[in-house]
Amino acid sequence: MTAARLILDPPAGGAWNMAVDEALLESAALTGQSTLRFYAWQDATLSLGYFQNYAARKTHAASHELPLVRRATGGGAIVHHHELTYSFASPITDRLAADVEQLYYTFHETLIDALSIFGIRAQLCDRPVKHDAEAAPFLCFQRRAKGDVLCGGAKIAGSAQRRRHGAVLQHGSVLLCTSPQSPELRSIAEVGERVLTPGELIRAWEPLLASKMSVSWALAELTSAEMARAAEVEQAKFSADSWNQRR
Amino acid sequence: MKPEELLYAPTHEWVAVAKENGVQVATIGITDFAVKQLTDLVYMELPEVGRKLAAGQEFGEVESVKAVSPLYSPVAGEVIAVNSELPNRLETLNDDPFGQGWVMKVKLSDETALSKLLDYAAYQKQCSEQG
Repeated sequence: MTAARLILDPPAGGAWNMAVDEALLESAALTGQSTLRFYAWQDATLSLGYFQNYAARKTHAASHELPLVRRATGGGAIVHHHELTYSFASPITDRLAADVEQLYYTFHETLIDALSIFGIRAQLCDRPVKHDAEAAPFLCFQRRAKGDVLCGGAKIAGSAQRRRHGAVLQHGSVLLCTSPQSPELRSIAEVGERVLTPGELIRAWEPLLASKMSVSWALAELTSAEMARAAEVEQAKFSADSWNQRR
Repeated sequence: MKPEELLYAPTHEWVAVAKENGVQVATIGITDFAVKQLTDLVYMELPEVGRKLAAGQEFGEVESVKAVSPLYSPVAGEVIAVNSELPNRLETLNDDPFGQGWVMKVKLSDETALSKLLDYAAYQKQCSEQG
């Protein structure tokens, strides 16, 4: 059984959270080590998908006042509030190999199993809705891609990847409760009729992931090199208007 | 262009080299295997004309429904043309990846990287091993 790191981070700002994930992606490529990280956001934050236009946030009034960060991963915007965010960084031999895409299913199938422990019935989306790039809904949770996690017809979890030579970073978000900053979304609390805390869900989910991936988690913190790298990336990239407003 | 006559990078870009106005120019695209594996492309970012690239350097990015992936230059040289219509017509990559779906042309500054590229048979073997 392979050892992999599990990091449980306290709430932090958006730029720091994204910078840590980038540092973990680089670590995965350099050291061959996989890391699963669960984290939260100090303040409710809007994250834009990598290719989304900054101006598009004007179309979503409810989140207009929130701090913003652009992710390195694809997909739609997410209001990080009353949700659980995870990242998984892992070495890969080829960014287009079949098992890279399979990572979505690994996380989403085990999430469905974890939710079932709490009596919440969820399933994978098998009827994706295709949109032209410009016509895609602004919010990730209003989009429907194959393999998204649905509960009572509502999307309650989705993931997106950034691939590079030698490593992949997968981000995912699980919508635990509806936020006033995205009131149009239905969450697990509403459709699953169960209020889950992030800690409860992590404790149910991580052993299922370990089993599915044949890894054993070693509880860890960022190395000093990763901390230093994350601080650099936070400053130079995720805090900068040149990144967050690049499109 | 016939796929059998092209060269391939292990990172799934194809290369056709020809002389244009007396200089060696590589036309570069992404393979049908890559397009299929990426599935449902929604965005593409091209390099600027005039940009100088090293072999193996990132030159652009594509986003599928689920993933942002970089594109890597298989050769070293200067970008002298890009298929600027391609980001607006990504379906071309499905319909004609080795023709109308070309991505950029690079004036070669150094031909050594060409010797490291795969021929059609070797690339097909790589794809069959990971598909």
